Amino acid sequence: MMSLASYLIISLILFVVGLMVMISRKNIVAILLGIELILNAAALNFVAYSRYVTNNLDGHIFSLFIIVIAAAEAAVGLAIVIRFFQIKETIHVDEATQLRN
Amino acid sequence: MNQTVVSYLSKYEFYDYLLALFGNNQGVLAFTIYFLLALIIIGMCATIGGLGTYAERKISADLQARLGPNRVGPYGLLQMLADGVKMMTKEDIMPFTADKALFYLAPLLCLVGVFATLAVLPFAGGFIMADLNVGIFYLVAISSFVGLGVFLGGYASNSKWSMLGGMRGASQIISYEIPVTISILAIVLLAGGMGFGTIVGQQGGLPHQWFLFHNPFAFIAFFVYGVGALAETNRAPFDLPEAESELVSGYHTEYTGMRFGFFALAEYIEVFVVCGVAASLFLGGYNVPGITIDILPVQAAQFVIFMTKTLILYYVVIWIRWTLPRLRVDQLMSVCWKYLTPIAIFNLIGCAIWMVVFNGKSIAELVLGSH
Amino acid sequence: MFLEFLFISSAVLTVSCALGVLVVKNIMHSCVFLLGSLMGVAGLYATLGADFVAVTQIMVYVGGVVILMLFAVMLTGGTDFISRAQNLLGLAPSMGNKWTYGMGLFVGVVFLLTNIKLLMGLTQTLPTKTINNEFPSTVTEIGHLLVKDHVLAFEISSVLLLGALVGAAIIARPRKQN
Repeated sequence: MMSLASYLIISLILFVVGLMVMISRKNIVAILLGIELILNAAALNFVAYSRYVTNNLDGHIFSLFIIVIAAAEAAVGLAIVIRFFQIKETIHVDEATQLRN
Repeated sequence: MNQTVVSYLSKYEFYDYLLALFGNNQGVLAFTIYFLLALIIIGMCATIGGLGTYAERKISADLQARLGPNRVGPYGLLQMLADGVKMMTKEDIMPFTADKALFYLAPLLCLVGVFATLAVLPFAGGFIMADLNVGIFYLVAISSFVGLGVFLGGYASNSKWSMLGGMRGASQIISYEIPVTISILAIVLLAGGMGFGTIVGQQGGLPHQWFLFHNPFAFIAFFVYGVGALAETNRAPFDLPEAESELVSGYHTEYTGMRFGFFALAEYIEVFVVCGVAASLFLGGYNVPGITIDILPVQAAQFVIFMTKTLILYYVVIWIRWTLPRLRVDQLMSVCWKYLTPIAIFNLIGCAIWMVVFNGKSIAELVLGSH
Repeated sequence: MFLEFLFISSAVLTVSCALGVLVVKNIMHSCVFLLGSLMGVAGLYATLGADFVAVTQIMVYVGGVVILMLFAVMLTGGTDFISRAQNLLGLAPSMGNKWTYGMGLFVGVVFLLTNIKLLMGLTQTLPTKTINNEFPSTVTEIGHLLVKDHVLAFEISSVLLLGALVGAAIIARPRKQN
């Protein structure tokens, strides 16, 4: 029941679902939701390997850094989204075609 | 290793009898103990939350030279039951344009966030459901559900008052989490651990052994924590999310009946939890002066001491609410980001330097010599 | 018994809420489903004995990221653009004949079988050493690791967070029209 394989399968499902969210949604915030799912899948893998294979806590440290980076990414990404909305008055991802202004 | 109430009870003889009674099935026995203790703690804290509404009205009446509730029961003590019956029997109104799923979810999130914090609150030695290694960190983390519930309640009602109240509430709670967490971190630094057992165990029963008087930085940290905790629980003078004069009643404007009751109950229990955390972090927790052995009468005394400290702080919170005027939104944010956060970071660094320079000794130990 | 119960409920919560993020049309509900999924992941960390990571996950995501997401949804109007790809039938290519559909089906079956084979092999070849169910505290150990082995990454992440804080504040600030 509780083995490395089951954790890996859950992480696989999370990753695939996150990828599908990123592809199928047109709202930029929804794409950020997909990125969060993918990052969580990676972090879950690190902790699972750390318990079942390596027996030290480096995996925990790595997933802590992943959480930190996810938080920073969400903050900057949402700031960009809000700025983009101020300029274009939409957050459809296909409207983001210019690098200036 | 995390201590729990089960591992505490298993040191005694009657645990073996109980184990035999349950057919040597440790899982079922542990589940039963947790379940019963959770029922006891939640019932107790819900009663305290209900009495909180009574105390609030009575104390405010006292401060304003009125009588307060005095009709139901002796001194109006049963007023909370009358209020409860009124809330239960009221019509449950759902706004036509509300987001139904989130409208149902929001009060539950508030209540879950508050009740989950009770699992690590140390009422007495042994009377703590789970003395986690990450105790205080868990408490800070899980109580952020309240902010989410406030925000979703404001959004789901689909009304302008609620929306403004919810946005104010969420921004206020996540802003004030920063100075609160940093000032808690200073105490974690002094105690050398995040579990409540460790933190309370490092202090003593007498005031000079409390972390409040450990060093000047911890003394300032107590007030930073107090101000931040008032703001996190949406109490006056920081009750902008439910400011009656501007926003009708903020994020729970559209809620009626028991759903409103959930919000109110969550707020009063959260004030109790915050006061309990302040008592156990800064004011020595449940320590009885001079006695450290773990027997039942001592534990009863510990429980009484903990409740006394907590309820005194509760009184102060209500006192502040009926004394100070409400802040403006911009003042609220500048208090948090321009004053409390720098002071809290300064305190953290100061505590770290104190621990290095004086080798972890408190002021009293330095003055009186080591004991 | 506790662990299995926690594991199964967390796994079900994680997977079902992740699927909820995918299929739900309302972006606000997607955010709430994301919250459920992240809480499930926190539960899975707890079953792995990673208490500190689990609590950090709750702290950062529930207290920070999800509320930020909800804020962003509200500040940007909360409209979602119903794309054709979002209902599952729309995922099938609209141009094509029976040959392309047949080829697609064949590729899909091969892909599925390969994956099943890989996963079956995975369960047999992975290390299956017996794990004791005692969870020592990871807090002290993580603290030591952070200031000894991983101190450079720790410092760099603090610089990263400062940069993210300042950058987000500067980017989101409305500029003067000139």
